[in-house]
Amino acid sequence: MTSILPRRALAAIAMLACGAVAALPGTSMAQGTIRIGAPLPITGPLSPEAKKLQNGMNLWVETANKAGGIKVGAKKMKVEIVYVDYQSNTPRAVQATEKLITQDKVDFLFSPFGSGAAKAASSVSEKYEMPTIAATASSEQVYDQGYKYLFGVYTPNQTLTEPLADLVKKQAGGVQRVAILARNDLFPLAIAQEMEKSAKKRGMNVLYFEKYAIGTLDHASALSQIKAVAPHWIFATGYINDLILIKKQMSDLGIEAPVVTMVAGPAYKEFVSALGKSAENVTSAAWWHPAVRYTSKDVFGSTENFNKMFHAKYGTEPDYGEASSAVSGVVLQLAIEAAGTLDKKAVRDALAKMNTMTFFGPIKFGPTGQVVSLDPPVFQVQKGRQVVILPAGIKQGDLQLGVK
Amino acid sequence: MLSLQILANGLVLGGLYACIAAGFSLVWGVLNVINILHGSFIVLGGYLAYYAYAQFGIHPFVSILIAAPLFFALGYILQRSLINRMIAAPVLLTLSLTFGLDLMLSNGMLVAFTADFKKLTLDPPLGVLNLGGIALPVDRLFAMVLALALTGLLYLLLSRSRIGRAIVAVRMDREAAALMGVNVKRIYAVTFGLGALMAGASGPLLAMIFPISPLSGPVYLGKAFVICVLGGLGSVPGAMIGGLALGVVESFGALWFGPEHAITLSFTLLILMLLFRPTGLLGRTGYA
Amino acid sequence: MRKSALLAAVLFLLVALVPLAGDAYWLRLGTTMLMYGVIAMAWNFIGGLAGYPSFASAAFFGLGAYAGAVAQKLGVPMGLAWTLAGALSLAFAALLGLALLRLRGHYFAIASLVVAEVLRELVNSATDLTGGGMGLNLPVPHDATVASQSEFFFYAMLALAAITFAAMLWATHSKLGFGLRCIQQNESAADMLGVNTTLYKVAAFMLSGAFAGAAGAIYASWVHYIEPPDVFDVLYSVKAIVMVLLGGAGSVFGPLFGAAIFLSLEELVWRNYLQVHTGVLGLMIVLLVLFLPKGVFSLRLPWRKGKP
Repeated sequence: MTSILPRRALAAIAMLACGAVAALPGTSMAQGTIRIGAPLPITGPLSPEAKKLQNGMNLWVETANKAGGIKVGAKKMKVEIVYVDYQSNTPRAVQATEKLITQDKVDFLFSPFGSGAAKAASSVSEKYEMPTIAATASSEQVYDQGYKYLFGVYTPNQTLTEPLADLVKKQAGGVQRVAILARNDLFPLAIAQEMEKSAKKRGMNVLYFEKYAIGTLDHASALSQIKAVAPHWIFATGYINDLILIKKQMSDLGIEAPVVTMVAGPAYKEFVSALGKSAENVTSAAWWHPAVRYTSKDVFGSTENFNKMFHAKYGTEPDYGEASSAVSGVVLQLAIEAAGTLDKKAVRDALAKMNTMTFFGPIKFGPTGQVVSLDPPVFQVQKGRQVVILPAGIKQGDLQLGVK
Repeated sequence: MLSLQILANGLVLGGLYACIAAGFSLVWGVLNVINILHGSFIVLGGYLAYYAYAQFGIHPFVSILIAAPLFFALGYILQRSLINRMIAAPVLLTLSLTFGLDLMLSNGMLVAFTADFKKLTLDPPLGVLNLGGIALPVDRLFAMVLALALTGLLYLLLSRSRIGRAIVAVRMDREAAALMGVNVKRIYAVTFGLGALMAGASGPLLAMIFPISPLSGPVYLGKAFVICVLGGLGSVPGAMIGGLALGVVESFGALWFGPEHAITLSFTLLILMLLFRPTGLLGRTGYA
Repeated sequence: MRKSALLAAVLFLLVALVPLAGDAYWLRLGTTMLMYGVIAMAWNFIGGLAGYPSFASAAFFGLGAYAGAVAQKLGVPMGLAWTLAGALSLAFAALLGLALLRLRGHYFAIASLVVAEVLRELVNSATDLTGGGMGLNLPVPHDATVASQSEFFFYAMLALAAITFAAMLWATHSKLGFGLRCIQQNESAADMLGVNTTLYKVAAFMLSGAFAGAAGAIYASWVHYIEPPDVFDVLYSVKAIVMVLLGGAGSVFGPLFGAAIFLSLEELVWRNYLQVHTGVLGLMIVLLVLFLPKGVFSLRLPWRKGKP
């Protein structure tokens, strides 16, 4: 025994040593390439989101490079994204962000996914004064830290609930009683709280407001209580699996209401295919929808063209996450071209001054770095399709009442 | 009325919980091994049912029959080849072993199936049964009945069959059973196989109701912990009572304390039970 | 004991030179390694010495992180906040230990595992104090430079590691360590021989809690942002155990070496096996348990002679 084990130990140490050498970072840096770091949750629970973000970013990189690259002053430079996986684990996201800045020496950054991780990583990029674009962080708490280098392409949460509440107030005058069920998590909870404010502001009564814990398997109790208060408007938040479960159990318990709104599941095709008829007439809101129509001077030219190129590459319609990650690249490109240099301070100032049109919509950042110029669409599942009902300029249909 | 509805919700949910926990409890009780893999086995069974339905139109109830022998074999082989080597090791090592295996399995599923949630949606849906104002979804009801039937079958197997008695004998006194000519290693493998079978068979039932993802495993595992402690370790009736009790407690907990505290409540209950009644609600009765 | 202390002093001095290399990323890795070392050493009190399969590391770490962060939010200076967090975790461990340490084997393991879940949900719902699911932001000191901040937290973690090590060295060679090893071998016998088992076990659990909690508090200040699922992550509990198993349970240097090896492996796997890193980590655990259950250095090194 004694003679074997030390040999094992030695073997283990030797293995480690080899591995440590192999792990040393490669410093192959192509000359004349702009490198953008993107820490993404490529593995773990959030990996489907990372896939979406990568779709959008890769399409932008491909399109920009096909056009010769990004114009920096007099010359054109190719662009490249350096992805690092943070395993859907926020501390790892912070670590990955620092690695990208100090080791991979990227020129600019995209934020990790979601409000929480984007907020956590923003303190690192701020520390290094690294211009950072957040594709998927909407909560105002991410931007209220006084940071100068963080810019986000999602408008604050209330821009989703306000127009919806207006519309319901106008077209369904009888809606008085509101019930809200929220996942106790950064974004779902924040938007539920905005919904409560929007409803109260319009004189509606919020009769039920409860949070459910992450990992809840059964909503029957909460829904039975909601049924008991007979609400006109049920507002549920969570991720797609939560919302499928909630809607399924609502049908099981025979809960019907004139208006049922869910954020953020119904934007995805899977929501409709998993629920079939019971998804009918569920409303939702998002920051973008393929039905919006903007003409722009960016690499995509227009929303329609973006949709077409996306479909050609991936075979599906883009959703708002895929579009917001592509527009993050577009915004950065426009800022670099406006600054005419890769200097971080100059690009940061160009971002702060930006007032432009993209395929995603008009982009202008407010004093906190969060975009203020967008008008997020409201949509509804009608006959198995997501139909835009707001803003009036691009609507494909009208609000239908009655969800079974 | 509300209370009755909530009680019904809780009992239906509890039936499913019983099925989740029965195999886990069996393995823990007989082998003294906490099988962290149990949750991932359930998820794997769920995927089996999902793809069987999506690709070949095989009804999830039929998938149970396919899953059962497959998972039994999987469990049997796993026990014989790996876990048996550590069966007498300290708690920490056996726990680490099944934890490591679970990391591998769940990562494997993540690569194979991605983290996208999959939902098995029956077409046409089974509908809802209305009993005097109390709504009972038929798919859940069926799943509960089948879950309880499976658990009952396990109970019959243990109490009536030869191999079942051998398992019970090993659980009560391994040395004595070995002296009586029982092949303990084989019994261990059969028991682990049965545990995996129960997990794999409850997968299709759960897949009809909950969206599945490779990462749901720990949620089911957490339930199994609580149920085992509630009902008492290593007894099928215990798992049944524990499951139903947990379902009801969670339902009323959500009503009284708000849904965000339902999970906290069940875990607090677990700690309290461990401290004040470690034998479980039924007391430690064993399998016979 | 003197030899170990001397060796450790040299070791810590060497580690203290790391910032001279100047690279922020390596500094971050170094800080993480020291943090892992503290968590592993903290676990060693209860797990390695007393042999109790504790999964409470995540609970202590998370509690410390939140205690430190909330205290700082309320205006308590950083250093004092860390101390308070350590003290709170110590007190919490005392109460928890009195209740849970009556349990043995799997029962204790599960009960300790569940504590983190309960705390996480409590923190999650105490929105006013903790920010709940929104997480909690700590102020970033704007007057200090990037490099000086990284160095500051590195040295803070190093100091904590040194203190933890000293405590462990003392405990191992004192009556406490002797009593704990008796408990590990045969608790009933130890009880009969007149060892106050409850007192010893609770003391070990308190030390475990205090150091893991302090590590959590420093961590919170260091990363500026914490949220419940991250600091109450059950993987902290599991990693602590794996690290000690790697380095050798119950030994003085084991946890530190285990932490160093574990972090190297983690980095290695993370960089090279993107899609399957948790699987590879799982495979490592399985191989470790099956082939090297007493650690990478088993039976080899002179200071392990005290192994019961």
